[in-house]
Amino acid sequence: MANRMNWLQGKTVRKNTPTNASHSRSSSTPQVHSTSSTIFGGGVKDPSGRITEYSSEDDQCPVCKSDKYLEKKLRLLVSSCYHKMCESCIDRLFTLGPAPCPICNKVLRKLAFTPQTFEDLGVEKEIAIRRRIAKEFNKRVEDFTTLREFNDYLEDVEDITFNLINDVDPVGTETRIAAYREANAALTLLNTQREEAYILSLRQAEDMQRKEKEARAEELRREEEEEREEKESGKREIIERLERAEGTDAVSVVRRTKRERAEREASRKGVAPGGSAQALLRARLAAAAATTKDTPHIPFQDDYYAYDDMFVLQPIYVDPTSEAVRKDREGIMRAGGYRVEEAWERAVRSAVAGLDLWPLDAIPHPLGVDQGGDIIMSAA
Amino acid sequence: MAASSKTPLYEASTQFKNWRYSPPSLAKVRASLNAAAVAVIRNTFEADEPGSSSAVSFLLPDEELLLVRLYASKIPQLCGFFRFPDEVEATAITYLKRFYLKNTVMDWHPKNVMLTALFLATKTTNNPISLEAYTNNIPKTSPSDVLDLEFLVAQSLGFEFAVWHAHRALWGIWLDLQAVPNAPPNGAASQSEIYDTALRHVRASRLSDAELIYTPSQIALASLSMASPELATEWAASKLPPASPSLSTLQDTMAVIRGLIEVAARPLDVEAVRGVDLRLKLCKNPEKVVGSKAYLAKKAEDERKTEEKRNRKAVEVQKAMTAGDPFGDDLGRLVDYDDDDDD
Repeated sequence: MANRMNWLQGKTVRKNTPTNASHSRSSSTPQVHSTSSTIFGGGVKDPSGRITEYSSEDDQCPVCKSDKYLEKKLRLLVSSCYHKMCESCIDRLFTLGPAPCPICNKVLRKLAFTPQTFEDLGVEKEIAIRRRIAKEFNKRVEDFTTLREFNDYLEDVEDITFNLINDVDPVGTETRIAAYREANAALTLLNTQREEAYILSLRQAEDMQRKEKEARAEELRREEEEEREEKESGKREIIERLERAEGTDAVSVVRRTKRERAEREASRKGVAPGGSAQALLRARLAAAAATTKDTPHIPFQDDYYAYDDMFVLQPIYVDPTSEAVRKDREGIMRAGGYRVEEAWERAVRSAVAGLDLWPLDAIPHPLGVDQGGDIIMSAA
Repeated sequence: MAASSKTPLYEASTQFKNWRYSPPSLAKVRASLNAAAVAVIRNTFEADEPGSSSAVSFLLPDEELLLVRLYASKIPQLCGFFRFPDEVEATAITYLKRFYLKNTVMDWHPKNVMLTALFLATKTTNNPISLEAYTNNIPKTSPSDVLDLEFLVAQSLGFEFAVWHAHRALWGIWLDLQAVPNAPPNGAASQSEIYDTALRHVRASRLSDAELIYTPSQIALASLSMASPELATEWAASKLPPASPSLSTLQDTMAVIRGLIEVAARPLDVEAVRGVDLRLKLCKNPEKVVGSKAYLAKKAEDERKTEEKRNRKAVEVQKAMTAGDPFGDDLGRLVDYDDDDDD
């Protein structure tokens, strides 16, 4: 973990000693001992440390053409013009001050080289630009009077970002940014502060939650410990009393000891609350649990009459229909919980169901006989 | 005997609530469906070619029923071929009969409805079969014949797929007879013969209207009484208090059901049904015959309506676009500005 985080701080852990062959070349220039400790460890920073520096087996320095196969320690860094170079080339070219990029001739400084995070340098560039823009253009929707204005502002920002990413009219774009910065310096600062305050509050809340959780766990552990001790001592007490043969029979001794202990515990619990905030919280939780009763869930609570008084289910029937299922010794047919008793019960229940229902035309009080009234032709 | 405060299970079923008729109400439903269908089809004929409907002889409700019965009697044959259990067979026949209490034969020919009802029944009774295996084994049938009607059938059934069947009640009676002290001893060869005979009667009852009028237990008991009157009387006496009005009503009911079963067990007059089928070809709802003038007209009408609807919607959208600023106007109405791109 520590090793992985190092690039974020601009350090590289070098396992090889300075006498190593790969290093001796760069140490020929005595005033700088290593590139990696002097360059700014920028790139796309990820505070969680999950994103690591990008490198692949096929890395090859476009300047000196040395590759990973021959040079195990090869590390490519990215310039501010988004061209890759190996550390030794950077040392060679830029140690004596700003020099033009060997690829695009833009004047570069050694400190402006950053480690690579993404395989695609286009992404690297876009993210860097978007971060920069987001820092400056941080107006919020509350800063506008109409939605139209806010949307226009968003479009402007996107326009500028696009220009920067694709190098469209760089001078004009930079002037636009500068103009904006000048015009909105106060608001930008305010929004930055707001953002920071928000992040701080989030972090504090998180911290508080974590502390509370820890305290609760600690409390619980202590309580369990006490309970166990209590139990132990109770047992010991019973044994001692039995040894001393207080009273005549053992059962009454045990019962009396237990009762005394319960009383003691009750009195202790009665005194305890109010001691700490945690105890108060616990009491509140317990009260909540007491008010919301934990009743078992019963999915079907319809109260139907299931003709239970009309039949008595026999433990076994002579039934050729279900013989195959009952004789099935491996229980393959009964897989999934099939029970022949339930099939029997269903059959007998359906045999007595509605046995005494009057046919509709013979009902003494014709209620709801007119079923034909609501018949609709579904497709005429 | 039922506790008055609780609803008995059977009376809570959709079968009791929505599919229970009296003979007159059944006749009324069928007559009104037939009349409505005839009126619609006559109109279509007239719209197509004035005066052409006078020559057409439309089906009568009884003739429709005859055709439905013929196709209902095909279901057991298909079930025998596919080795489907009784449950599937009974459910499919029930679906077919219920379907024609909401639709008429002149709109939907029972041949395809029967196939769909059976396929639907295999699924609702947990005896599924793949559609390919099903249609490949029935000549001149394509998967679309079965699937096209499936939703219509399910809709006509009101999505009430659970059915209480008489054959289960008969099994229950048979089991429960073993708990009746005076019943003759079980297990003898003649006993199982009685059960088989009764089951045959239950199967015959499916072709009648009995299940739309009476409860499954009554039909099962009537079937048993046709096979062995003594056993049926014995069992009924053990279930209902002697000399109660319900016992005597049950006797009357059973007599009627026996009559229905006897009628249903008689073979159909195939020639008469064929005549009905031939006439059906002429008086079928032309809107449902693919390629006919009325079908095309109906299709054009439907298309015109959809087009109209689409246009109306487009106009509305256009109006909304021009009237208001697509990028929003007032911040007060703003809920979540991240969603703005969607509008």
